[in-house]
Parts: sequence; C-alpha cells; structure tokens
Amino acid sequence: MKRGILIGAIVVLSVLLVWATVVWQPASPRPGALSQGPRGGDFTLQAASGPLALHDLRGKVVLLYFGYTMCPDICPTSLAFTAQGLNHLDKAEQEKVKMLFVTVDPERDTLERVKDYASFFHPSIIGLTGSPEDIARVARLYGASYARQNVDSAAGYVVDHTADTYVIAPAGKLFAVLPHGAPPAKVAETIRAALVAK
Amino acid sequence: MKFVPTLLAAALVVAAPAFAGSAADAVTVADPYVRLVPPGQPATGAFFVLKNSDDKDHKVLKAESSAAKVTELHTHLNEGGMMKMRPVKDIEIKAKGEAELKPGSLHVMLINLNKPLKEGDSIPLKLIFEDNSSKEVSATVRKIQAEMPMGKPADMPMGKGEMMHHHH
Repeated sequence: MKRGILIGAIVVLSVLLVWATVVWQPASPRPGALSQGPRGGDFTLQAASGPLALHDLRGKVVLLYFGYTMCPDICPTSLAFTAQGLNHLDKAEQEKVKMLFVTVDPERDTLERVKDYASFFHPSIIGLTGSPEDIARVARLYGASYARQNVDSAAGYVVDHTADTYVIAPAGKLFAVLPHGAPPAKVAETIRAALVAK
Repeated sequence: MKFVPTLLAAALVVAAPAFAGSAADAVTVADPYVRLVPPGQPATGAFFVLKNSDDKDHKVLKAESSAAKVTELHTHLNEGGMMKMRPVKDIEIKAKGEAELKPGSLHVMLINLNKPLKEGDSIPLKLIFEDNSSKEVSATVRKIQAEMPMGKPADMPMGKGEMMHHHH
C-alpha cells in the first residue's frame, strides 16, 4: 500500500518536473510562440493580378498578415500601424518591402475586395486569397490561427484570428514576429534589421 | 384651500421624473468618431467616451444610425493572442463613472454602410438607454492615427518584437 503511494508520488512529481522544464514558459508572450521549431516557408496564393508566390518576392523584406475585411477594428489598426511603419522608411528602403494581407475569410473576401482593402492602407500591401485549404496551409506554416464563429449579429459570422505580423527576410526565411499594435517606429526598426539579415 | 397642497403635490409627482433626470440627461458622450475604412468595405466602428454624472448606473441598450443598415454593440476580446469580436447586449456606465469605446475594445459596429465614408463626414448616431431615453450625437469620420500630433511615435509598452535567433 505504502509503496503504491510512493510510486504514484514519483510519477506525479516526474510529470510535473517534465512539464515545468519543457512545457511551462512563464515569460512567453503567447502559448507556443518561440517554443515551436523553425516556421515559415514558401507558398502561392491568389492576388487580383494573378497567382503570387513568396519566392517571387525574393530579395525583398515581406511582411505577412492574416485578417479579413469584415473586421472593422483589429485589422485596420494592424494595417494602419504597419503602413505608418513603412512610411518611416526612405524611398529606397520602401522599394525593398512588400506586405501581404492574407484573408482568413475566403468565402466572403473576393479578389477585388481583398485588393481594395489592402491597397487602401498602403500601396505596398497586396491582398491575397485562395482556397480554404491553401490559406490554412500558409497559416500553419507561420503559426497563425483563425477560427470562424457564428454570432448573433447581422454580420453572420466573425473570424477569430491571431493578429501578428510575420517579417520575412529577403532570402525567404522568417526573421521576426511583430505583435498586434507594435508602434510604427518598431515596425520600421524591424524591417531595417530584416533588410540586412542573411 | 386643502386641494391646493394636493394639487402642488400632484404637480411635483408628475414633474419628479423630469427633475430626477433620464439616463440621457445623466450620460454625456465625448469625442465621438467613426473609423475611415476603404470604400466598398461593409463594416466599421464608432468610438466615444460615455460619462455618467448620476448616482445610479445606466446602460446603453441599443444604437441606431442612418449610415448603416444595421447598428450593433460589440466588443473585442484578446484571448491567448486570438482576437475575438463579439456582440454585447448592453454597455454599462457605472454611477459617476465612464465607459470607453475604443479600438480593440467596446465599439458600436456599423454593418453594411449605405455609402462609402469620406474623412470628415458626420455620421448620426442615436444611443438608446435602459429607461428608453435616447441621445443623438454626430460622429466624425477619422483616419486612424498611430502617432502623436507632434509627430513623435506613440511610446506604448506593448510591441516587443520577437526576433528569431538563427544558429548556424
């Protein structure tokens, strides 16, 4: 009887120890943010002007953001802040940056709508859509999450989503992740660092 | 002669609600604005600060606007990095308190705008309170500003970018 309790206690403590060392990240700003392995990668989605692959933008810093146009607040804020970050750069720097706005609402966001929405915030922003499967695949590559929610609203449904901006260096590798609301000066600083990254 | 005091008392009882004040009397709306969104986009948000000078709590139950087909009350939740927008059944303003509608938080959502917004437009908003009193305000369409008017970037505690460390 006593031995059983002792073994049980050892098991419980071992599990706790493993959890504390491997899983628990007190300083982590968001679950799984840095604990996941290398993320990012190439993808192809649809712009109003035709298919666009990440590798078509090799040599430029690419900012990647997932959102949707029915989103009246978070997405406009993220895009406006990032646009202002872009405006901190000089002309030569701006020419080396592109931003991609990928919709997490492909059912409602047509090619035209996503293009108009994106370019409204800054001419360097390209709106992208695609099949639900393709979008899900790209989101997974970068660690973005989204989930459709039916709500009691004339909007019908909303799409919950993470609102980070992924910064991809000119060689195509994921360089940094800017959280939602990062001030424009921070956006510019990160872009400049990415421009000279390997 | 007795009926004069009664008449006075009756008059006071009738007049009392006017003196006690409706919710619309007690609640002021400060700095109402509507966010400018691209033409063709279906929805936007209206923001303002509600201040309640009364001794009791009040609530906004509904909002109406001729600028959109549907007007609703919503809020934003940030749960583990997931941004979630949800309708709310009311917005409460506590006695002597304030309720702030601002980006990332509570807002009046204007759904299916009747025409494209232009910066500087005046958008009529009607707020209906729990006692059926209402207040009409005019919200100005504004482009989102991230930076202080002096041109200095807003120094916010959030915004620590995570840099990926590449080990070769």
